[in-house]
Amino acid sequence: MDTPELPPPPAPDGPPAAPPDGYQVKLEVFEGPLDLLLFLIRKKKIDIHDIPIAVITREYLDYLNRKDRINLDREAEFLFMAALLIYIKSQFLLPREQPLTEEEDPRKPLVDRLLDFQKIRAASLLLKEKEDEQLQVWKRTALPPLPAPVEEGLDLIEVSLFDLAEAFFAILKKREYDHHRLLKGKDISLEDKMKEIIDILRAKTFIDFLEYLESQESLEEALVSFFCLLELIKSHIVIAVQEQLFHTIKVWLRKDAPRMKTP
Amino acid sequence: MREHLKEIIEALVFISVEPLTPGRIKSVLTDVTEDEVKQAVAALQAEYEGPGHGIRIVATAGGYQLATKPDYDPQVRRLLQIERKSRLSRAALETLSIIAYHQPVTQAEVNALRSVADSSFTLHTLLQRKLIKISGRKKAPGSPLLYKTSEDFLIYFGLNDLSELPSQEEIARILEQENNAET
Repeated sequence: MDTPELPPPPAPDGPPAAPPDGYQVKLEVFEGPLDLLLFLIRKKKIDIHDIPIAVITREYLDYLNRKDRINLDREAEFLFMAALLIYIKSQFLLPREQPLTEEEDPRKPLVDRLLDFQKIRAASLLLKEKEDEQLQVWKRTALPPLPAPVEEGLDLIEVSLFDLAEAFFAILKKREYDHHRLLKGKDISLEDKMKEIIDILRAKTFIDFLEYLESQESLEEALVSFFCLLELIKSHIVIAVQEQLFHTIKVWLRKDAPRMKTP
Repeated sequence: MREHLKEIIEALVFISVEPLTPGRIKSVLTDVTEDEVKQAVAALQAEYEGPGHGIRIVATAGGYQLATKPDYDPQVRRLLQIERKSRLSRAALETLSIIAYHQPVTQAEVNALRSVADSSFTLHTLLQRKLIKISGRKKAPGSPLLYKTSEDFLIYFGLNDLSELPSQEEIARILEQENNAET
């Protein structure tokens, strides 16, 4: 798992300065093992293209041993890197008939990854600068959004899959509590459900997304309805819109909808 | 150039929340070319950049928007009573740069480049903030989802299009600075 929000991230040019009484860092300030390796390489002023594996492995393991808090999820990534370092070191110990060429250097894959990672980090620092610039710029966001050029001129926001899914999961959560009894097997087919939805739409012109899912008898039925709605949206038969942000989601039949194959 | 073109464009940009593209402006006006629109916008921009204006017209995500000048950020904040805007976490920024430069990418590719076991939390946050979007599935075992940066990504970082991302040279310069700073 990713750590959601990290405590103050290290300054762009490296983790915070070491306190005078010895070196202390928290595991959490490093995003991953490459981050830590890069930091150690810098600290030891090592040439990234010619890493003394023995030195860096010792530093790395020392670091892993020193930290007191263990987050098992993140730990695995750091241990994996430790294993990789030891493996690379072992490669150097093997007797060889011929000296290794540059391409065969067991450090090469790791160095390539470090170089890539270094670039990504530099790019993210540049993006951060842009973010800082943009944070001082304000734009108005409260005006009505532009109507989509093709849609029938309604002032509506088409909702994304995430809005729908979020609304749906909110219902699931709510329902968790009142549905502990075993459900009798009632088979609901996607097709029947789709027809049902279209029939309702023809009669009532729109469906309130939340209300409709909530009115379903069982969780299973709600799930099927949800998939039906997704399918109908995907095939451009219905459209899910909000009048404004945070308003209820309504499902409409599209005027230009392709005919449903109803018998 | 058509009469009042500058004024008309100013009015249209003023009333749009989303970046207004030259194409969209052209579709409202009957007898102008896109080039004329661009010229008029350039003239407007030049006027706004001069003294006497607290706002300017910025080009972002392929369109134009009105935005306050950074100098007046403190006053705007005081008016809106906003202490500071939230920033993206380091994990989010790194993940975004990976996606921006390697798009479309799968989660596994993001994980590998970041050397972390699981980026799903960060990806989910970025999806929710609409800074990235799912662009399809990769034709590979398990058909994993592919991620791309969104239009909101461009707006968030004030970029007109992806070609305005920091270039390889800029990245190299940053790396050099870092190395020099420490040796």
